[in-house]
Amino acid sequence: MFKMTLAGRLATAALLALPMVATSIQAETSLTVAVKRDRYSIDEQKFTFTTRRPAAQIVETAVKPDENFLPSPLLFQSWDYADGTYSITLQEGVTFSDGTTFNADTAIAALRLYDQGRSDFLQIDQESFEKTGDMSFDFRSETGSALVIENMTHRATSFFSTMTNRAENPVGTGPYLFESYEPKQQLTVVRNPDYWGEAPTVDRLTFRFIADDNARLLALQNGEIDVIDEVTPQMLLSMPQDGSVVLHESRPIRYVALLANLNGSAPFDIAQDYKVREALAWAIDRETIASILFAGRGVPAKGILPGWMFNLGDDHTDGFGYDPVKAGALLDEAGWVMGADGTREKDGRKMSLRLVAAYPNVSTVKPMPEMLEQMFAAIGIDIDLVEVDDSGVYGSTYLDTGEADLYMEFASNNNTDPTYLLNNLFTTTTPWGGYKFTAPGPHVDALLAEARVAQTREEVIDKVRAAHRAIVQDDLAAIPILMVPNFTLSRPGIEVPMSEYADWIDYGRVTVAD
Amino acid sequence: MLRYILIRLATALPTLLGMSFVAFAIVSLAPGDPVMQELRAMGVVPRPEDIAAIKAEYGLDKPFLPRYFDWLGRALRFEFGESIATGRSVMDEIGIHLPSTLALAVSSFIGAVTISLGLGVAAISAGRWTRAGLRGLTIALVSVPSFWLALLLIYAFVLQLGWMRLVGNGSAADLILPALTLSLGAGASLGRVVYERIRSEMCEDHVRLAIAKGLSPASILVGHIAPRIIGPLATAWANTFGALLGGAVIVESIFGWPGLGQLILQAIAQRDFPVIQAYLVFMGLGFFITSLLADIIVILFDPQLRREVNHE
Repeated sequence: MFKMTLAGRLATAALLALPMVATSIQAETSLTVAVKRDRYSIDEQKFTFTTRRPAAQIVETAVKPDENFLPSPLLFQSWDYADGTYSITLQEGVTFSDGTTFNADTAIAALRLYDQGRSDFLQIDQESFEKTGDMSFDFRSETGSALVIENMTHRATSFFSTMTNRAENPVGTGPYLFESYEPKQQLTVVRNPDYWGEAPTVDRLTFRFIADDNARLLALQNGEIDVIDEVTPQMLLSMPQDGSVVLHESRPIRYVALLANLNGSAPFDIAQDYKVREALAWAIDRETIASILFAGRGVPAKGILPGWMFNLGDDHTDGFGYDPVKAGALLDEAGWVMGADGTREKDGRKMSLRLVAAYPNVSTVKPMPEMLEQMFAAIGIDIDLVEVDDSGVYGSTYLDTGEADLYMEFASNNNTDPTYLLNNLFTTTTPWGGYKFTAPGPHVDALLAEARVAQTREEVIDKVRAAHRAIVQDDLAAIPILMVPNFTLSRPGIEVPMSEYADWIDYGRVTVAD
Repeated sequence: MLRYILIRLATALPTLLGMSFVAFAIVSLAPGDPVMQELRAMGVVPRPEDIAAIKAEYGLDKPFLPRYFDWLGRALRFEFGESIATGRSVMDEIGIHLPSTLALAVSSFIGAVTISLGLGVAAISAGRWTRAGLRGLTIALVSVPSFWLALLLIYAFVLQLGWMRLVGNGSAADLILPALTLSLGAGASLGRVVYERIRSEMCEDHVRLAIAKGLSPASILVGHIAPRIIGPLATAWANTFGALLGGAVIVESIFGWPGLGQLILQAIAQRDFPVIQAYLVFMGLGFFITSLLADIIVILFDPQLRREVNHE
């Protein structure tokens, strides 16, 4: 008869229990996301610095952008705007993770925090808060803007509990709780068991700060991280093609465009001639550029705002094809005749344009500047190419001084206010100094000023559409080149719910295959 | 000796003052506005009064010289203000990251000294072909950029052999690859110095006499050559240590090592003026202290210099 010793029985029991233990271990899912920079700040006053990607898991905004970048309910269940007054009804059943109830009082207190910040872009009249019920209140915009709710989709407007020091222990209503933070190394959040909304699928999220692009990619290949949040074109070029790294992309959101200096002094005044700008627009072979850069995921652009955004549509701009013959003819019409050395001349002046590729840095658009240089050389334009890998140098040296003809930028309307990008880059009243050189003039100023005070969303969008058309078509202050998706990389088996707005990628809902 | 050290410290004051001015000027006159840069990156529309208030808070609205003297007064008390990016005091920031950089610099330095002694002594005692091989290896290690060497080591030890991880948590095991990366280049460079110094000493009469007396090579090396070359080597070591303290920026970045290199890279990108200025001052102080130590070591090991210093 087979007999077991006590030790043998214990060993067998342990063996049988192993799958159960393993199951419970597997029950906790964790995800490590590599981000380039540690943007976490402990400064109470720096409201905007505290709410980016990692901390955004802890706190929530009043509304979130839907698929067309229109505000949809989150902490605000509904809202109404009439006669300059916003009437808000709050989401029921929400609590801050410290147990404080989310109601009209705590919501108003959270919104009042913005007045302490130094970048109060909500521009709420702080004296106008009026509680109309336990879960409802009114307020007014201090500038009469109808876009306050749109601005609340920005992650920087998240609601913090005022009961704790949010610098040391940020408390919000979000799906995660702050667990630990090691400067320049990592920030970890864990699932909030009492979250009011749908529970996230990932239990523990760790954001690793890895500055070096190669290191992020190698760490992913080595299985040390699960997802790369900030993907540069160089990483796309060096991404292994053996399936060990998976590319996730959103719809195109970021534009690459040449902003023309419309108001510069000589010698940076050549692009003031519309025919010159139009010639440049027709001389760009966008299809070729799209096939080479960004892993071929970019698309030729007709504008700098994608058609799907804010329901703008695609039909209000025409775009430009590739027609170097037409480009040459336009330059002939403008009086720039081909010289013996292959460079055009007018009144003894060579057609030489300074093109600065710098924002946010030249490495994000390489080798596009060199490709453009060749395309423009083919129609007789000499390009003085300046490549700068530092947006500070770009701003101070070339943009603020107007000392260039063309500025290559790779950016997006990273705000759900439809007027945000156009107002900052193409108005004479821009708060971002140097962009006064790229402002077409009073007609665009007027359109955007009207949009900013328009009282219905339809009216806002109509004005924005008209301003966008003027900027990228009729005035050509911006020569569109490409629209590019937002990218993340992951190891195989991971599905990332992509968003065009990088701050809205919901890492808590990443799914991991067994 | 104490008098010498005091004189040396006194003569260093103008240098340190000049260094502080250069550090302040480089940062202050560099293009780029930290306030606007961050506000644009965050997607914020600032009002002119907001920008003015932020500039006033960091003293960026004052003329250059008053700003410098304000800053110098505080710097003398080791008060460098607050980091624009993080809100922590600059001294806190340095306190967080300095231990990691020191650990990396010290371990790289130990590695470099070990490698250099090994390479130098091996080259002296080796035959013609081995010496040529060592010379080639040394040239290769000195010539290879640290970032490339780092990637090579990552490929071999992390991706192929799987012995190490790339992005650790600052533990001792995570120190091995970055320290190896730094010590290989520095060690090879120092190895040439060791080799040349030993060779030059071997031509001296006292070494020839020791050889003639039939002493073993090891005894000659330890008893006759080492005391004579330690002074010049100390100077080279001091420079190397200073360079390792300040020059590990790229390696720290590649390996995600949470030292001052990571701090300064991000500070430069964000135009975090107070952090950059403090970093430059600390690096200057680091070089000053290590070169002072080297001078003292040189004096201690050179009887002639020791006599001169003591009689002054």
